[in-house]
Amino acid sequence: MLARRNFLKASLAASGGLLLTTSFPSARAATLGKAAAEDVALNAYIDIAPSGRVTITAKNPEIGQGVKIMLPMLIAEELDVSWDDVVITQADLDTRYPEQSAGGSQATPRNWLPMRRVGAAGRQMLMAAAAAEWGVPASECGTRPGEVLHAASGRSLSYGTLAAKAAALPVPGLDSVKLKDPKDFRIIGKPTRNIEVPRIVTGQPMFGIDVSVPGMLYAVFQKCDVHGGRLVRSNVAEIRKLPGVRAAFEVKGGRDLRGLLDGVAVVAESWWQANRARQQLDIVWDEGDITGQSSVAFAATAAELAKGKPADILRRDGDVAQGFAKAAHVVEAAYSYPFLSHIDLEPQNCTAHFADGRIEIWAPTQNPAPGSALVSRTLGIPETAIKVHMVRAGGGFGRRLSNDYMVEAAWISKVVGAPVKLVWTREDDMRHDLYRPAGYHHFKAGVDASGRLVAFSDHFVTFREGDAIANSADMPAVEFPARLVENLEYGVSMMRLRAPTGPLRAPRSNGLGFAFQGFLDELAHAAGRDPVAFARDLLGAPRLLPDPPGPRQGPGFDTGRMRGVIDLVAEKSGWGKTALPKGTGMGLAYYFSHLGYFAEVVQASVSPAGEITVDKVWVAGDIGSQIINPLNAENQAQGAALDGIGTALGHGLTIEAGKIVQGNFDTVLPLRMRQAPPVEVHFNVTNHPPTGLGEPALPPAIPALVNAIFAATGKRIRSLPIKDIDLSASA
Amino acid sequence: MIRFVFAVAFAVVAAATPALAAGDTPPVSRGEYLARAGDCVACHSAPGGQAFAGGLRMATPLGVITTTNITPDAETGIGEYSLEDFERAMRRGIAKDGHHLYPAMPYPSYAKLTDADIAALYAYFMREVAPVHQANAPSEMPRLLRQRWPLSIWNALFAPQAGFTPDPTKDASWNRGAYLVEGPGHCGACHTARGWAWQEKALDWHSAAFLAGANLDDWSASNLRRNVATGLGAWSKADIVTFLKTGHNQHATAYGSMSDVIGNSTPYLSDEDLGAIASFLVSLPATHDETAFQYDAASAQALLAGKAEAPGAKVYSAACQSCHLATGAGAPPFMPKLAGNPTVLDPDPASLINVVLNGAAPLLAKGRPDAYRMPQLRQQLNDRQIADVVSFIRGAWGNHAGAVAVEDVAALRARTSPSSDRVVLLRMH
Amino acid sequence: MSYTIVVNGVQRSADVDGETPLLWVLRDTLDLKGTKFGCGAAQCGACTVHMDGHPTRACQTPIASVGDGRITTIEAIGESSIGRALQEAWIEHDVPQCGYCQAGQIMTAAHLLSQTPKPTDADINEAMSGNLCRCATYTRIRAAIKTAAGKA
Ligand code: FES
Ligand code: FES
Repeated sequence: MLARRNFLKASLAASGGLLLTTSFPSARAATLGKAAAEDVALNAYIDIAPSGRVTITAKNPEIGQGVKIMLPMLIAEELDVSWDDVVITQADLDTRYPEQSAGGSQATPRNWLPMRRVGAAGRQMLMAAAAAEWGVPASECGTRPGEVLHAASGRSLSYGTLAAKAAALPVPGLDSVKLKDPKDFRIIGKPTRNIEVPRIVTGQPMFGIDVSVPGMLYAVFQKCDVHGGRLVRSNVAEIRKLPGVRAAFEVKGGRDLRGLLDGVAVVAESWWQANRARQQLDIVWDEGDITGQSSVAFAATAAELAKGKPADILRRDGDVAQGFAKAAHVVEAAYSYPFLSHIDLEPQNCTAHFADGRIEIWAPTQNPAPGSALVSRTLGIPETAIKVHMVRAGGGFGRRLSNDYMVEAAWISKVVGAPVKLVWTREDDMRHDLYRPAGYHHFKAGVDASGRLVAFSDHFVTFREGDAIANSADMPAVEFPARLVENLEYGVSMMRLRAPTGPLRAPRSNGLGFAFQGFLDELAHAAGRDPVAFARDLLGAPRLLPDPPGPRQGPGFDTGRMRGVIDLVAEKSGWGKTALPKGTGMGLAYYFSHLGYFAEVVQASVSPAGEITVDKVWVAGDIGSQIINPLNAENQAQGAALDGIGTALGHGLTIEAGKIVQGNFDTVLPLRMRQAPPVEVHFNVTNHPPTGLGEPALPPAIPALVNAIFAATGKRIRSLPIKDIDLSASA
Repeated sequence: MIRFVFAVAFAVVAAATPALAAGDTPPVSRGEYLARAGDCVACHSAPGGQAFAGGLRMATPLGVITTTNITPDAETGIGEYSLEDFERAMRRGIAKDGHHLYPAMPYPSYAKLTDADIAALYAYFMREVAPVHQANAPSEMPRLLRQRWPLSIWNALFAPQAGFTPDPTKDASWNRGAYLVEGPGHCGACHTARGWAWQEKALDWHSAAFLAGANLDDWSASNLRRNVATGLGAWSKADIVTFLKTGHNQHATAYGSMSDVIGNSTPYLSDEDLGAIASFLVSLPATHDETAFQYDAASAQALLAGKAEAPGAKVYSAACQSCHLATGAGAPPFMPKLAGNPTVLDPDPASLINVVLNGAAPLLAKGRPDAYRMPQLRQQLNDRQIADVVSFIRGAWGNHAGAVAVEDVAALRARTSPSSDRVVLLRMH
Repeated sequence: MSYTIVVNGVQRSADVDGETPLLWVLRDTLDLKGTKFGCGAAQCGACTVHMDGHPTRACQTPIASVGDGRITTIEAIGESSIGRALQEAWIEHDVPQCGYCQAGQIMTAAHLLSQTPKPTDADINEAMSGNLCRCATYTRIRAAIKTAAGKA
């Protein structure tokens, strides 16, 4: 505890003359820091000080998902140390660490065993060192937090004393180390506070945008608002004369919309001066062919395409035409969702320092390795000459999987020959994103007289970039309810898109979930069934529906796990048992994504004037046998569900003449406190490997909300965002 | 004879013509200077299009007019115009082929231009403006008005084609100012109310209707007379000059179509000319007596204490206060004050509602956008909230303008669209 | 032009253009990086500081308009009992995810508690809705404000 307090005091004192006179309440959490010189490295992750303090390296980028604490918890658990003795340090991009990225809710499934093994290997080395010291077989030794024990003789040695000897021993094979029985976990499964909160709440510099390097200049970069437009000429010479401007130059970029693009860089002594000078740029762009590049045109083309046959058939089971023919009710509906920006609250930024053929980069990135490769390719320097520091990111949501801002900062620093911090404006951020693609679904389905779903088809109109389907614009052939309906057909047609697209939190699922789960709710009502009962029947008996072999083969779909969370959420929300006033309704939705099974119920009220109040959200999830950090798990699940609610209510971009119209939070409306309902989170613990949580709680929130609005008003919402829809009684 | 009148007028006006903006490189020609003064580029260019190539869609009460190409392109522009053709279009609204121009073209004002200025403008458009080949789009007017003969009747009734008559009892600066305001500046096109046939009710200072404020295109163009609350009665000459140079001063900020004027026109005028305009404007008597604005601290105290209970006050604290402050004092010239601002006090609340709904486009002064921008609130606030907050603002801090109705906001919402935050440069080269 | 302002009780000088927002003076000239840039348009609240005790959007405060207004930033809010109670409650409830919005949230909450020592949900909704949290940690912000309200 002492070390932690000293650290806090020191860091505060260093930053602005503020010294806290007492420590923060015991957070019982590890602290941040760097391993000291006298510390001994057991492996790339673990350093142990003579005092017994253990420094654990967190290898992955932290974007708010809590991975910087979660991975060290796994190591500390198996190393068997007291969490209070742990110090956490952030890794740089480093070939010693695998998979240093943040995305796809992958951190848990990919690291659950490997990180535990790293800790267990360290423990095994410490036990071997103690056994050698005592001249006893290692098998007679055990541990308790921070110490090796020899039960037979009652002797013990602290990790601090053993570290140097242990470090000299051979590293055991990671596959052979013995892991703890989960019932003995002391750290995993315990609500564990985020170590960085004391720094966050005192405003310490810790985000990418806070990086400061001696001699640093500030940069902005103006690109063409039509993505990939080419620079023809500019008044850059005039810009150089403006106050504070140290450099202004044209950049000839490439064709890769995720790399360095054409633009004008303005570098000044302060960011404000750089941005003010940039606002006086007069640039002539060659925007290229923007025919049809507007949201209005896309919607019209999609509607036109939907009248014809799909260009491609993704999946065909049975015969949908026959299915419709024998159905008692046939329902048709078109659903659509808009382009979305990620709107990380911290705008994209990066600091780069190029000198003597080498470059050092400080980047709030989710995915540093491709960034380093991109910088290497674009600047023509070997990756060995590139050092990337991963800096805490103010949100990621998939935006920072791309590294366009990184290569821009690197290029500008190279041209200027000085360290440069590039900071985008909010408008840059919204208008130069890798967008969640819009999508248009044309559904038709039939239920028989007994209320059973007998036929289902979707003509999905989506986008291509060049000749390939746009990033995150595809739909899996196993998309639910495939494999559960005897007559089913999924077809796809595509439209050309100039704007780049990319993954946004729960990619694909965040749009597909809305469309499919909204339509399935329509079907339940058409069948005259309660949506929960309809879902149970559709899922049928608990079983695993395997994925077809192929490059994207997943683990299959477990109908039992899905039913489990539906039952849990129905119970917790009082589904069907609560009398609701007029204008209030509950909606259900369920979705499997990123290995997690989630069912959610939203209760919403709509006033006669059309104002929506989201009263409450219940979340039930199944992410396997172990919730690693329940405190963070609840936060992530609440955040994901509210992200869905906020997205449904207020996010949406439109394209006009190839340009994104919206630029700031006056037109894209993120969720605000007054709109945020309480979110109750429950987990079904099941006997499956633990999986991730950043994403899978998001998709069901959107359809659960629109289904609740239907229950409240009888109005179906088939396009988003809801803010653009008039729900007043007179509408 | 018009010519004759002009010849007389020219002597006085020419005497008052100042040295053209010194130090500008290359020196600005007289014609270019006049094109600036007339802000021709604002109407005769589409955002993102080429200067003077036309293509701007202008809504009028009768239909949409698309402005024409006035570059010297022989086929699509005015390349074939002789000086006489040009003069006829400018002063009388008759195109070379004889058709009548719609009076969205302010030829009733331009009728006051001196021969020398017409010639200078002609020279500028013919020699200094690069020809752009861009065909004119047809205007979307009702059938009756597509036949343009009714316009000749209109002209006979409303376009007197009288030249500028200097007032020998006033000094040269005043006369120069009057000429600029009534003639090339065509300020009355927005700031003077229009009559039943869309004609400006007055074309010069002799009438009290001149520049008394008008509603145009869902903006209320302010009263520019000495009205102490709703006009420029509290403005000094220096305030007027600052406003025309920068788009803001301690009293107010430009918005709506005045942004175009700031963007392309008045900041490029010489200090002498701006001073002349100010001399002229401060001479226009108030249309009627008004109670001068008196600051009242009660609203600010209530807001600061969190005790302002009116629904509009709550909206104000959530959506407006961070820039315009609890005191309504704003931070001029960066954020306009709301206390005593003539736009706030305007009996017609259109501008205030419009700017709250749709925000303000970036204001450029000589190519430099202002540092702060009014965001649009149409997506965040409903009609009731906007009516509440506008009513609150119009009654707070000693403001004494009336409340606005939800219906007014709804109507404006339906008719208007948000202003873009993108900077639109219409460069005259 | 040089401006002298009082930040966290200390006189600081900045040689900048008068239009420069207080936000960038704090961050880049005075090296107080706790105040964040999120939108630059008075829409997100990430840049919230106190001027004479009132929450103020630093991104919309030209340095020329600060005058003798006393500025308090997140770096010093812990010197007040309310600020300190909020920081402790934030830790206790483990509020942040990415943490980027939280300085602004705490600054706004500090003013709320100074006006309304025991805020209701409705008070919190009204006071806090100018501060966006993209990670949507609203549930915990609400809880932490209530905890702090009991202690400050
Ligand atoms: S940065 Fe000031 S409100 Fe967003
Ligand atoms: S914690 Fe990420 S924006 Fe609030």
